[in-house]
Amino acid sequence: MTGPRRLSALAWEAVAALATGALFLLLLLPLLGLLVRVAPGELLARLGTPLILSALRLSLYTSTLATLSVVALGLPTAYLLATKHFPGKRVLEVLIDLPMVLPPTVAGVGLLLAFGRAGLAGRALGTFGLSIPFTTLAVIIAQVFVASPFFVSAAVAGLREVESRYVDAAATLRAQPAFAFRHVLLPLALPSVLSGMVMTWARALGEFGATIMFAGNLTGRTQTLPLAVYMALETDLQAAVVLSVILLILSFTLLFALRFTPWRGRWRMRAAGDGR
Amino acid sequence: MLRATVVKQRGAFRLEVRLDTQPGTTAVVGESGAGKTTLLRLLAGLERPDAGRITLGDSVYFDAAAGVSLPAWERAIGFVAQDYALFPHLTVWANVAFGLRAQGLPRHTIRVQVGATLERLRLTGLTDRHPAALSGGQQQRVALARALVLEPSLLLLDEPLSALDLGTRQTIRGELRELLARLPCATVYVTHSPLEAMVFGDQIAVIEAGQLTQVGSREDLLRHPRSPYVATLLGINLFHGGIVDRDRQGIARVRTADGELAVADPGGSGEVFVAVSPREITLYLEPPTGSAQNVFHGPILELVPEPPAGERVRVALRTSPPLVAEVTKQAVEALGLHEGVWVYAGFKATGVTAYR
Repeated sequence: MTGPRRLSALAWEAVAALATGALFLLLLLPLLGLLVRVAPGELLARLGTPLILSALRLSLYTSTLATLSVVALGLPTAYLLATKHFPGKRVLEVLIDLPMVLPPTVAGVGLLLAFGRAGLAGRALGTFGLSIPFTTLAVIIAQVFVASPFFVSAAVAGLREVESRYVDAAATLRAQPAFAFRHVLLPLALPSVLSGMVMTWARALGEFGATIMFAGNLTGRTQTLPLAVYMALETDLQAAVVLSVILLILSFTLLFALRFTPWRGRWRMRAAGDGR
Repeated sequence: MLRATVVKQRGAFRLEVRLDTQPGTTAVVGESGAGKTTLLRLLAGLERPDAGRITLGDSVYFDAAAGVSLPAWERAIGFVAQDYALFPHLTVWANVAFGLRAQGLPRHTIRVQVGATLERLRLTGLTDRHPAALSGGQQQRVALARALVLEPSLLLLDEPLSALDLGTRQTIRGELRELLARLPCATVYVTHSPLEAMVFGDQIAVIEAGQLTQVGSREDLLRHPRSPYVATLLGINLFHGGIVDRDRQGIARVRTADGELAVADPGGSGEVFVAVSPREITLYLEPPTGSAQNVFHGPILELVPEPPAGERVRVALRTSPPLVAEVTKQAVEALGLHEGVWVYAGFKATGVTAYR
């Protein structure tokens, strides 16, 4: 090993460390800015105020329902995408991923146009006396729209990762596809499916743009935590900070749980051939 | 019994096999890539043949002409994959119960049948373990139990011993043989090992490049190999040629692509196979004067102890035709044999079998 070569290796390490430090600071500073403004006691005291409590309750309610809807629709979709080949599959995959990169406000406008009184679906629903915009249901639909790709992509990846020999074994053991999915594919893909659920829930919890466009900002009905933060910023800065800290803690806990859950990698073991 | 004619084209590889099983074990032996696993997957219903017909007893599983193709889960065929493919998230008990549960049988029935099968395969102490906590031999027994609990009419085994290390293989080979001998159903046993094929196969089918080149009993295969591959497997010198001359003493001359051989006259005319056991061949440094009608001269290509580190040595010769002789270690030392030494190889016409 020559001197200059070793030096350039060291320089590269230094650059990497500096870049990491800069990014870390950028991410940490706003979080610290929030956390230092709220004492733990104040957080608890404020938690009980009607505005925060109703926003928190609505957020948990809608994001949970949205996640369950995403799972109900997304799991069969993921199964098809992971195991079957059909025409238009590529297009469908892109379409499913689209909300991940689409600005949420655009999603909100789209939803409003589709489900609004003059919209494609809105007119049909209107004949039954149903109107979706500016209701709690609209909040959930907006959340499903923006958060579903997180679940579907994770579930597809998880299902694809399950080795075909297990599915083949199930088939030769008289298991029809539905039974094999329920008892072999899904359990083996569970780590990915669960992390997809957590990501979806977190994204639904933080949804702002599409919600405010499509569901409005009605306290107790459509005003979720992120919307409440935005509103409070104009009237009561300290309330906005408290709400932000609550969201921050929720998000951090979710992501942290995702990293360190016992289910991670539980079945990634060699099933045969170790010959111990 | 299984009657199968299957054709499957995959790129340049073409599998075209007609296989009828008999009671007992049919060993399918061939090199990797010969189409052994593909054949099993076609029979099990995991892949669909391009053409052909598969029946088991009275049931038609596949008939290209009639457009019949039963999915794997509707075939009474047990399949044990090479790596066993035990479900890693299920205990031994749940692995064995899987197929019964899939059929929606009542709990009580499942418990009784799983219990009996676990006992039969000596797995009773391991019911709560996960596959990762089992030895290779135990995993194999679970895979067998999982298939056998469904009482299949045919059991397919894909290289069942290859996932085991050498130390345990021999013991488990014995156990498996005993188990298969007691099974009520027929078995198709796929292997690349001629030894395993001989040990397990009541009937042996040799597969080469997607085709069955010889199907017969163990004895038939040993005595009358019909393809160079089988001959190599058995370590026998095999030639193919036509009878060109015969004398009154019952000796015929067979012309092969590489030279002529004197053989015990099989009668008739036309093409014959000629098998020469390596042990029938004697090596000399000087031209032999005895009664050997066949004498060939050539250099030694290589010397291989047989069995490895054994008392005998296989000597490959670049004679025409090429021969492999098997002599004792003492003979190698006495004659000073090593690679490149020119020797005479002699054997009697009566030590050669010719057959059609």
